[in-house]
Amino acid sequence: MSATTDAWLVLAMPLAGMLIIALGFKKLPGRSAGWIGTVAIAASFIFALDALIKLQALAPSHRELSSTLWSIANTVGVNANATLLVDPLSVFMICVVAGVSMLIHLYSVSYLKGDEGYARFFAYLNFFVFSMLLLVLAGNFVLLIVGWAFVGAASYLLISFWYRRTTATRAGIKAFVINVVGDVGLVLGTFFIFRSSHTLDLLATFHAAPHVFAKGSGNITAGCLLLLVGAFAKSAQIPLHTWLPDAMEGPTPVSALIHAATMVTAGVYLIARMHPLFQLAPAAETVGAIGGAVTLLVAGTIGLAAVDIKRVIAYSTMSQIGYMIMGVSVGAYSAGLFHLMTHAFFKALLFMGAGSLIGAMGGNQSLDRMSGFRRALPFTFACFIIGGLALSAVPPFSGFFSKDDILAQIGSRGGWYWALYVAGYLGALLTSLYTFRMIFRAFLGDPCPEASELIEHGHLFHPAQPTNPANGEVEDTEVGFPGPDHVIAERARAMQLAMGLLALLAVLGGVVGIPKTTTWLEKFLAPTFANSTLHLNPSNTLVYVGLVLGTVIGLLGIAIAWFVWVARPGLAPAVAKRLRFLDRLFENKWYFDELIDAVVVRPAAWFGRFAQGTFERLFVNGTLIGGTTAVVRAGSAAVRSAESGFVRYYAALLVVGLTAVGLYFLIQS
Amino acid sequence: MLSILIWLPAAAALVGALIPHRRAPGLLALGGALGSLGITIALIAGYSGQRTGLTHVTNVVWIRSLGIHYSLGVDGLNLFLVAMTTFAFALAIGAASIRDWPRPRVFFALFALAESAVLGTFLAQDLALFVAFFDLMLIPFYLLLGVWGGPNRIAATLKLVIYTFAGSLLMLAAAIALAVLTSEHTGHPLSFALSTLAASPLHKGPQEWIFLLFAAAFLVKMPAFPLHGWMPDAYREMPIEVLAVFSGVLSKVGAYGFLRIVLPIMPAAAVHFQTLILLMSLASIIYGSAMAYTQTNVRLIAGYSSIAQLGFITLGIFAFAPQGAQGAVLQMVNHGIVVAPLFLIIGLIAVRAGGSEDIREMGGIAMRAPILATFFLIVAFATLAMPGSGNFVGEFLILLGLFKTKMVISVIAFTGVVMASVYALRVFIRTMHNRTGPRVQSREISVREGLALVPFLLAIALFAVYPQIQLGRSEKSVTASIVHEQALTGSTSNTLASVMRK
Repeated sequence: MSATTDAWLVLAMPLAGMLIIALGFKKLPGRSAGWIGTVAIAASFIFALDALIKLQALAPSHRELSSTLWSIANTVGVNANATLLVDPLSVFMICVVAGVSMLIHLYSVSYLKGDEGYARFFAYLNFFVFSMLLLVLAGNFVLLIVGWAFVGAASYLLISFWYRRTTATRAGIKAFVINVVGDVGLVLGTFFIFRSSHTLDLLATFHAAPHVFAKGSGNITAGCLLLLVGAFAKSAQIPLHTWLPDAMEGPTPVSALIHAATMVTAGVYLIARMHPLFQLAPAAETVGAIGGAVTLLVAGTIGLAAVDIKRVIAYSTMSQIGYMIMGVSVGAYSAGLFHLMTHAFFKALLFMGAGSLIGAMGGNQSLDRMSGFRRALPFTFACFIIGGLALSAVPPFSGFFSKDDILAQIGSRGGWYWALYVAGYLGALLTSLYTFRMIFRAFLGDPCPEASELIEHGHLFHPAQPTNPANGEVEDTEVGFPGPDHVIAERARAMQLAMGLLALLAVLGGVVGIPKTTTWLEKFLAPTFANSTLHLNPSNTLVYVGLVLGTVIGLLGIAIAWFVWVARPGLAPAVAKRLRFLDRLFENKWYFDELIDAVVVRPAAWFGRFAQGTFERLFVNGTLIGGTTAVVRAGSAAVRSAESGFVRYYAALLVVGLTAVGLYFLIQS
Repeated sequence: MLSILIWLPAAAALVGALIPHRRAPGLLALGGALGSLGITIALIAGYSGQRTGLTHVTNVVWIRSLGIHYSLGVDGLNLFLVAMTTFAFALAIGAASIRDWPRPRVFFALFALAESAVLGTFLAQDLALFVAFFDLMLIPFYLLLGVWGGPNRIAATLKLVIYTFAGSLLMLAAAIALAVLTSEHTGHPLSFALSTLAASPLHKGPQEWIFLLFAAAFLVKMPAFPLHGWMPDAYREMPIEVLAVFSGVLSKVGAYGFLRIVLPIMPAAAVHFQTLILLMSLASIIYGSAMAYTQTNVRLIAGYSSIAQLGFITLGIFAFAPQGAQGAVLQMVNHGIVVAPLFLIIGLIAVRAGGSEDIREMGGIAMRAPILATFFLIVAFATLAMPGSGNFVGEFLILLGLFKTKMVISVIAFTGVVMASVYALRVFIRTMHNRTGPRVQSREISVREGLALVPFLLAIALFAVYPQIQLGRSEKSVTASIVHEQALTGSTSNTLASVMRK
């Protein structure tokens, strides 16, 4: 069995899992749907590992395989084929995606227990993973776009999973539409590239690119900028990010999946995958790098002000993806992908921990109401600490090595890239600040009522009348969450196992890329980026300065967080009062929602209303129809008096028409 | 063989009307439709796409003195449109046959006659025959709407008749003028054969006004903005099974007419009016989408979305690029197999919402009907041309072709892609999700209701994975339709370039 066969099987497994669950959802007993879904992803992961082994057995220059099964549309010069591309980059991605998704599935088996839509959830979840795997394995632009859009569709389905909540359906359609904007960017970008390359095959495009595109020429720059629109929409980079925080309406495992394994990393992958094209479009690279830097700072500041625990983590994802986008845009490909992997570990862990907390809070996600969960949920607390330290890039946790790798490589480019370097370390300070603000507020201090209930009675708090925390609407009880048999996450075996394994990975994941020591990941990915024209080689000084700087900043942020939110509880509100403007700005998420509303949504709605209420009524109905109907009414009255049906009426008019034509020709001749 | 294909449904339904059994008319009409479907499947299997020109040609003199022939033929251009027609009619008649209708004999006879006439329109290779079938096709629908329609059926029928009848008249005049002028021009006896007319094009002047007459007829039929005035009322009142084929199949006749008749015979005029038609299509896309995302009547949401989607199809045709034309023909089939089940599902939803067709009175239907919701979801995703559906491949080819010839229009048309996602998901969410509507009594789809929908979903899946099944067969014939326009636009841009150089 070759690596390409493995790749097809990697795709086939979740697809089969989805179909089995979808077709048998009525007959599947108990929790079997969850286990089928989990096993399907596990099988996928095994095939991914097998592909990895097979690929490593080949000579480095031969680690680029493609396999075409059939033609989707092969006509008039368009070659849209079902082609998979198996190379170190795609194999790396399928291993991360399938591996982390497997653990999230495992967690969900318990987390969603008791939800009415249990089987539906796992069918969607399998579809989501299938879409992401398709995206990263695609070897043809059309197949890539298909995977890209499927990811968007799957995210829509899962975000509005609890579809009786109007907040959930609204968040779902928002995510979907912004993702469609991204799809359009991707398709248009493809058009611009296809214009010169005349092929939709990825490898053929990359091979042709240096010959058909002059560096910085119009087509390639426009093409890459549009690809960037796609990447920004999917990876929630400013200004196409507003869907991501709203996406927290989905069940917590979905957030873990969107943020860790699938979806938001797609933009990073896209830029890395298209690097032969981006290197010919320096303008697009610059836009990508600046976009990433702006996002990482802005998202970090919003994370400081958000009170919804899942939103804090969501803004942290935006910010971390900003690092990755910045990295792969300046040519730090393996570093960006390294951070993608470690981020997947610790972010999935943090979301699972958040799920545990939210379960204990009876569905409430507000940091204002949480406190003192340290003794109530000790395992969750440990997971949060590990995940938080990895996110804050404290050594020796995994995030430390990957974040510094990106920043050292950016620094090595010199010139104006130093601005990005500074932004990166500023963002690092924000990161450890908002991370430990969240942890301290949720876990330290006096236990809140929900926490004491857990400590004193050993069971979860349940509101008598469940309400939607987002808008206070009384919950439809037919929606499973937060059902009465919601499990205590850290005592359910499956959830414990998933969280424990991720915690381990969050601690040790950095091992594959310790600078100057183990550069395994970089070496593994090297064949994919062998054709890169950018060779970033940070000097020893830069690397060591970076390591020290990273440590200091990470610890400093934690110390400030301790000081502000634990040692001096009154300080935070006082500061917020003093810096009223900034506080308002951060709390309102820099007013991006309002901006998009004013620029896009309102005009579109106005146009729709105008077309509906004014134009259609006055012009189409009034002038075009009113006039004609009036004329015909008079005529038809006459005809009706002659006892005519439609057929006769029709025949009569036919005669009139024929006469008219005959007259015309008489006059002509 | 093609004559059997055309007349089998009508004949079977006539026989059914004579058998004195309550279910006989429906079942025999269904049998005839299935027979035609079987013949088209055999046609597809036997068609390789390697050769150009018509196959299975029937050509007998019909009216000698006027040079009118009963001439039929199939090629890559109409093969899959015929298949889509027989497929959609068979399922729609099937769906109708499980319901009770007043005066079922006449109903099913008219329904089947409509199918025969549509098939004739697609297969006719003689202009006069095309016009005859075109008019014959409309009559059953006038009656189906006027007799079996909703409460305001008479006014709706009146509007439909006025609009389409005006179009028919214009086309009749145009057809006669075309044949007469061509015969004068060449000195040969009068002939309506499409091949003869295409062989000796008229001068640009007469081509232009004849083009406008044909275009008016076809654009009304589609409908295109702003000629869609008959659409809202007719869509609101028509029986839903009839509407499924009316929207799914008949709207394609106009687009097909452009490719079969207008472009090969009047290339100079087509090039002359290219920008006008493209702008109208663009207006259809944007206006149709805007109406679709503000409408609250489910049928009209689907109706206005069809205006937008047909806008894409005309964009593809008038791109005068091979990709655009191929995409347009693919999209005609795709739209047919997507919008027909969409209307059938709308019918099922309306029943569950206490008869209301207003999305404000719907919601939460998915709760008790997950299978129906899944079907609707798949159809909604296909409607918005999500990548991975056949509709996406069609739109991709259309916009790619247009991108090569008219980049700016193509880029603007992409706004329609985004708007489609808004209106398609909006209607899905407002009917299926959110809080349960006031009079909603949801229940799962029954097996019999499912029987009409599942084949549509399988066809959608087939075209999603393997649209090549059509594209490979249609390539030669479709590109032949636009070859003159390609040559003309190519030369104009060359002359422009040479002028610029001087």
